[in-house]
Amino acid sequence: MAKSLLLISRQAPWSGPAAREALDIVLAGGAFDLPIGLLFLDDGVFQLTAGQNAKAVQQKDLSANLQALPMFGVEDLFLCADSAAERGIATDTLALGDVKALTAPQIAALIDRYDQVITL
Amino acid sequence: MSTLHVLSHSPFGDNRLASCLRILGNQDALLLCGDATYALQPGSPPFEVLQAAGVNLFVLAEDLQARALDTPDWAEAINYSGFVELSIEHDKVNTWL
Repeated sequence: MAKSLLLISRQAPWSGPAAREALDIVLAGGAFDLPIGLLFLDDGVFQLTAGQNAKAVQQKDLSANLQALPMFGVEDLFLCADSAAERGIATDTLALGDVKALTAPQIAALIDRYDQVITL
Repeated sequence: MSTLHVLSHSPFGDNRLASCLRILGNQDALLLCGDATYALQPGSPPFEVLQAAGVNLFVLAEDLQARALDTPDWAEAINYSGFVELSIEHDKVNTWL
């Protein structure tokens, strides 16, 4: 049985390579059928807002990678409800469906459930 | 299940410490190393937050010494062997990169 992995992504999409690299890890894990989860925490929740325009800052869009998650078998998607609320992000208008909003105690329990955790 | 959370960034530059404390589980421990040890600067907001949080707190002694900081009685200073032991004692390690 492969070890399960929780990836915690906590950087905004345009602040550097961290957000894309976190997604790449998750997609690679999904491609190999690893039990993998993805949690958006802190500024990481900004990756999920709808209507972002990568071309405006001459970058590649992350939304295609996000949309690919279910196709790669990554369906355990979570976001920190507090992080979203602090940033005025409504969790019903996200660019990605089926992302579960979790409270802080639920996140502690989530981390407990996985064998390994990577925070980027 | 227990997790050792490892912080190495200054608490004055970002919110890793605040986020970590928010999602810290009952069985978890927190290890401060590198610039994260600046959280033990007496009188600073992070110092007071940690003091009030009552968490299982460890700190790398050499990083404290390098910064002329002391170990408060509610934290435990450890060396690298202690770091290894802590990593083994916990089910997993979450390094806040």
